[in-house]
Amino acid sequence: MPGKSLSPWTLSWFGSAMIALLLALVLALAAGIGPEDFDRPEALAIVHLFALGWLAQVMLGALVQFVPVLAARPLAFSRLALPALLASSLGTLALAGGFLSLDGYEIARPFFLLGPVALGLGFAMLAVMILATLVTRQTLRLPEVRMVLVALAGLAGLWLSGAAMVSTLAGSRVAVDLSQALPLHMLFGIGGFLTFAAFGVSYKLFAMFLLAPEAASWQRRAVFALAAMMAGLMLTGLLMLAGDAGITPLLIAVCGISLAGAALYLDDVRRLWQARRRAHPELNMSWSRMALGFLALSVLLLPFAIWQGGALARASVFAALVGWLSTLTLAQMIRITAFLTWIQIFAPLIGRRKVPTVQSLTHPRRAGLALTIWSLSAAIGTLSLATGFHAGFRLALCGLLIAATQILCELVAIRSLSHLPAPERPGLLPPLILPAFLKSQHSAENQI
Amino acid sequence: MTTPPPHELDVRPILAQGEEPFGAIMAAIDALQPGQALRMLAPFRPAPLFNVMANRGFDCADRRREDGVWEVTFTPQGSGPADAGMAPGSAPGAGFWPDPALVLELIGLEPPEPMVRILEEVTMLEPGQVLFALLDREPMFLFPELAQRGHEWAGNYAADGQSYRLMVRAGAKDD
Repeated sequence: MPGKSLSPWTLSWFGSAMIALLLALVLALAAGIGPEDFDRPEALAIVHLFALGWLAQVMLGALVQFVPVLAARPLAFSRLALPALLASSLGTLALAGGFLSLDGYEIARPFFLLGPVALGLGFAMLAVMILATLVTRQTLRLPEVRMVLVALAGLAGLWLSGAAMVSTLAGSRVAVDLSQALPLHMLFGIGGFLTFAAFGVSYKLFAMFLLAPEAASWQRRAVFALAAMMAGLMLTGLLMLAGDAGITPLLIAVCGISLAGAALYLDDVRRLWQARRRAHPELNMSWSRMALGFLALSVLLLPFAIWQGGALARASVFAALVGWLSTLTLAQMIRITAFLTWIQIFAPLIGRRKVPTVQSLTHPRRAGLALTIWSLSAAIGTLSLATGFHAGFRLALCGLLIAATQILCELVAIRSLSHLPAPERPGLLPPLILPAFLKSQHSAENQI
Repeated sequence: MTTPPPHELDVRPILAQGEEPFGAIMAAIDALQPGQALRMLAPFRPAPLFNVMANRGFDCADRRREDGVWEVTFTPQGSGPADAGMAPGSAPGAGFWPDPALVLELIGLEPPEPMVRILEEVTMLEPGQVLFALLDREPMFLFPELAQRGHEWAGNYAADGQSYRLMVRAGAKDD
């Protein structure tokens, strides 16, 4: 393939996402958020810091890295990666700040409308990069590629529904029924965007890490068909919302599709797991299994969430965002960071000196402990939200913060090669999260 | 049917005059005969051009010559009987390479192990010798490294999609 396969900004996206994750957890603890507090403006600010700043950014950063691999061609318009990152970070902060204006902090009000504008700009730049890279005759045949495209449609729906809600809350003329818009907005974000993107990326990653055959299965094609149907239904829901029509029947259909789609996806992953050639999967895969368990839990809670709302809806959302999407992302992020760091530093040295293994850049026990604490806290949090148990929820938040801090330390250790014995470390390391393309090109030139 | 020899375009003089070679490249592309490739010589690796050319229906193969000059061949997609069905980026004319001096069976290895094995082995080959490797998947991270070191490659998935076949022709010794 011509062009570098490494997208230089991926680690900057990861870094920005990790900062947002820690910030969200610290603020949730500091603001005293409990199970019943999710209507409070501070809670809304924190939820958006978590969902957009952490999950959406880490997913978009992963897509920027993954899409060129999927399409076997370099990332198109790769110069947009930095402005897109800046716009989405700024937009997330502005939106989170803007929510505080609902609590009477008038000074934050201008940020409320700035948030969706900046986020829209960032998302649009990403969509241009991803679409221009992916849309070719050869790649469109792949179900993984189609899945990523459906996820982009979900991202568009997420933004449209969110912008309409902000406009309503800010008291402008464009107004929607918030009680109808909210479930649709959450389904767009969690299902339509994040989960579909995670599905698309995971097929390829799981096959690679399990050493399983990559060929698409009937389940995968069926999941894509259901996902496309669900995105279509939700976008129709958006139009109905604009026309003030009730969307309950549509939500019930989406719920049915989610159950069927998740079941087929899990069956497909089970098939990959059984066909694997690697007898003992690594840490990232064993913890991805835990994430899949949370996916099942969250989808099983979905019918109750839609019919009853309240505590079970909060539990379902928490299980999805914290249990399913975050556990999966954290587990894979450790492995991917190690892999990218290894490629960046050691690929030019292969055949010229002895190179360490990717595994030796990581400390599996430390990462495993952190992921155990994360998953346990996610389970306690889900249970506490379902039962309205205040102390349990606060304990879960503490656990999540401890785990996230440990994972951040592990990521920094991987980037700085601190698990490697000193003689195996090259003298000059690339920067932690900023791209090193100028520097690495220079050093590569010198080596030849 | 015979394929016309590649049209050669050296952009170094244009760059040396401080001018932008893009117009000359596009003019050369427009003047190509059907099926004809463009061989471009540049003082650096013209990465931004690869995407432009891919969108215009050209496969790209690049290598750094011993004298430090980058030689990039843009081949119209789907042309040349020997190259039919090869992955984008494959060197043109790989069908005429000598028989492999070395065969590596790299099925069932986790990335980046196949990349390590291929780069280690190709370093030991004499210039012009060919290595054949069988892999589980397309080694995406290997290709830029091969190009950087001046080796050529050509590869594609087997018909059943279950394995990837890769040929690497060693360039000049790089250390």
